[in-house]
Amino acid sequence: MRYAAAIAARRASSAALSPSADRDPSCDCEPCAARAAHGAGVGLNRRNFLFSGVAACGGLLIGVGVPGRARATGGTYRITAWVSVGTDETVTILSGSQEMGQGIYSALAQIVAEELRVDWPQVQVGPAPLAAVFDNPLLGAQTTAGSSSVRGYFSALLEAGAIARQMLIEAGAAAMGVKPKACVAAGGKVVVKATGQSVTFGSVAAAASQLKPPKKATLYSNSGFVLVGQPVPRPELPAKVNGTAVYGSDVVVPGMLYGAVLLCPTRGGTVATMGPAPSGSQAVNLGTGIAAVANAGPNGTTWTAMQAVKQVKVTWSLPADAAQQTSKIILSEAETLLVSGNAIVAETVGDVASAQAGAAKVLTLTYILPYVPHTTLETPNCTARVTARTCEIWASTQAPAGAQAVAASITGLKPQAITVNCMQMGGGLGRKLEQDFVAYAVIASKALGVPVQLVFPREQDFTQDQYRPMAVCRVTVGLDKSGRIVSWDFRNVSPSILYQRGYIVDGQLDDQATEGATGLPYALPNRLMDWVRHPATVPVGFWRSVGNSINAFACESAVDEAALASRTDPLAYRQGLLAGNARALAVLNQAAALGGWGVTRQGYANGLAYHEQFGTLAAVVVTITETSGVIQVLNVACAVDCGMVVNPDTAAQQIEGGIVQGLTSALWSQILFKNGIAQTSNFDNYRMMRMADMPTVEVSLLQTPGAPLGGLGEVGVPCMAPALANAWAKLTGKRLRTLPLFPKG
Amino acid sequence: MASLTVNGQTYQIQSDPSTPVLWLIRDVIGLKGTKYGCGISVCGACTILVGGTPQRSCQITMADINGAPVTTIEGLSADSSHPLQQAWIAHQVPQCGFCQSGQILRATQLIANGKIPSDADINVTMNNICVCGTYTRMRAAIHSAAGG
Repeated sequence: MRYAAAIAARRASSAALSPSADRDPSCDCEPCAARAAHGAGVGLNRRNFLFSGVAACGGLLIGVGVPGRARATGGTYRITAWVSVGTDETVTILSGSQEMGQGIYSALAQIVAEELRVDWPQVQVGPAPLAAVFDNPLLGAQTTAGSSSVRGYFSALLEAGAIARQMLIEAGAAAMGVKPKACVAAGGKVVVKATGQSVTFGSVAAAASQLKPPKKATLYSNSGFVLVGQPVPRPELPAKVNGTAVYGSDVVVPGMLYGAVLLCPTRGGTVATMGPAPSGSQAVNLGTGIAAVANAGPNGTTWTAMQAVKQVKVTWSLPADAAQQTSKIILSEAETLLVSGNAIVAETVGDVASAQAGAAKVLTLTYILPYVPHTTLETPNCTARVTARTCEIWASTQAPAGAQAVAASITGLKPQAITVNCMQMGGGLGRKLEQDFVAYAVIASKALGVPVQLVFPREQDFTQDQYRPMAVCRVTVGLDKSGRIVSWDFRNVSPSILYQRGYIVDGQLDDQATEGATGLPYALPNRLMDWVRHPATVPVGFWRSVGNSINAFACESAVDEAALASRTDPLAYRQGLLAGNARALAVLNQAAALGGWGVTRQGYANGLAYHEQFGTLAAVVVTITETSGVIQVLNVACAVDCGMVVNPDTAAQQIEGGIVQGLTSALWSQILFKNGIAQTSNFDNYRMMRMADMPTVEVSLLQTPGAPLGGLGEVGVPCMAPALANAWAKLTGKRLRTLPLFPKG
Repeated sequence: MASLTVNGQTYQIQSDPSTPVLWLIRDVIGLKGTKYGCGISVCGACTILVGGTPQRSCQITMADINGAPVTTIEGLSADSSHPLQQAWIAHQVPQCGFCQSGQILRATQLIANGKIPSDADINVTMNNICVCGTYTRMRAAIHSAAGG
């Protein structure tokens, strides 16, 4: 299952906040599995995790390129699967998660280095090869998704660092003629406690690499963290400022030809007939579209392929429902389904019907959200070299095992015959969990018998995406005389990511669609959350924060509307709904203080939103003004509590980035469809935040010692749309319930 | 045959004269630090310096350049020592990094000849897209690099 890992991460994250997560450690139900991965590691087969893949990946280290740092000049010795030490004292730590901008190379390596006791400048980081030993324990796969990397790997990487350190100490102690017990590791050296005599890790690396790994890891960090919690610099950044970082689209394989795709403009269509390629290129039928590949020579460029692919004459077989795949029709169907669709209950507490019947006032609030594209700056691409017996792939991918499986099914080769080289990504955002671009490169290389690099032109990226689902959400809120919420009825109507992939059948719940609308932290004694599947066939996919950014818009707008209907300050209203929840109140109040909540100024307004996801609590206060009806966002203050922070600087970067993506998508983003054809094809008619649009941004990271680790990669996004809508309503008196808030830019 | 000078090295180019300079740099010369983002001169990922001036390379040809020397991110400094590169590291600007070659080259204009840019100058000049949203850090890094 290509997407199973992503789904597991998301399900596990909702369990992290569940008060009932304390369950039988032998149970493998989702909350218990999540708890195991977060907490003391109960239920985790550590031995298996640390060592099972050693044999499989030994020797592969040779091929690991670590950008931006000098390679070891002398010998490099693999101490364990995760850690290699060079005679020049460089320490190479492999990352099971892929680097797509989120700074995971520093966060994960910091955890290993914490126990290894090496100085950070010694550390270089590269992508782990595809092997079971490197699977994220939370996902059971080497997949980068669901804000799960630190949460999933944390305990295991501490042990991985400790095991390698124990081996280095054993070798160092032998070299100095003392017992291992007499030594400690510090600053990349094995030091004799009594005398201060020391040897460097590099000098004993060869000997350490021959030792049998100890059975038990002894954690230094039990007595406190040294490196974890520090804002160490990102190891891959030097290469990102001098042009030497190698992304998927920068790979050059000997004999490789450049190609570009053109897929059926009508989603769901296939190639009926394909004419010849223009001279200087070759055409390949991909099934759902075509590729043109430029011949070698002075014109053997991606640009030649991009021109050629448009010149191939193609006729298409269109799906029968193409005319239905039109935004207005899809929305109208959703509105019908809202009333008469087959709703599946995701959560029910108390008695909503009775409570609503007794309410003094009932608000019926309907929120509408569009399809939203990912627009990673590096468009989807993949390089493949298929031979009769082997297949090698170079891909910017969040899911390398999925890439391997797809290549196996296309080539008919066994998975072991397929090598996946994980390249840094120019943005992932959920788009690079998909395998469409991998499949196309493999098909093209197989067809032509040469290595092929296949790139999506930007127009193909926009029009052939798997979008954030459109949705219609209705929140029916019953208020008593004092304005308190007595009933809360939340219905979401949206196409299903899981159904489209065949992971659920009709009648089953898609919990990706309902996440962020169930398990709300608010005191809502009578509540119902249900979901109606929309059958629209426009492809939908995992978009940074998935259901959260859809449901938080409806939920946090509705809470504000209830506050206003009750003539209560929205902050005070939420404080009431969170009464007794000290951790949530701390986050809410910190955002309010940081964002200047309660400071009134003519022509300006604040908007607030609060949301929990992936075990992390987040609150945002935006400050806006307007000129001639055009919004200007002046400041965004965000407080976050993810339990413990491994790297406060990369943590802040993730929140800062999520805020910007949240702003772009809330203010302007949508893809409209007409007869199955996306109506937006490039950045000239798709507005994104630029420097001149930027508000000031303040991020405050709160920590709760002992709390389970929460995720960070996606949590900056969901609060932005409701906070903006709430601020706009306060400023202008106009409530906007449809995203994007300002479709005309 | 036409010649193209990139980072002080001259290349004889036999490609079709309509080929945008971006693809000559990336696929013919093989310098991959200059990125493809949109192909329509809107996002700025392909920014290079032509005769020292930032230009988007996806829609200009050899004829447009007319023999002027080109500098790409690889040629901005030999050892990442340009003040902007240093400031980008000091402020830990890049996330995915894909736009950053273009952003840095775009910013050279702001600090050229000892200029100290204002926030308003930065808003006007820095109009390349960063999907990761590193704008706040870029602004701080530009001020640092300018010594302002």
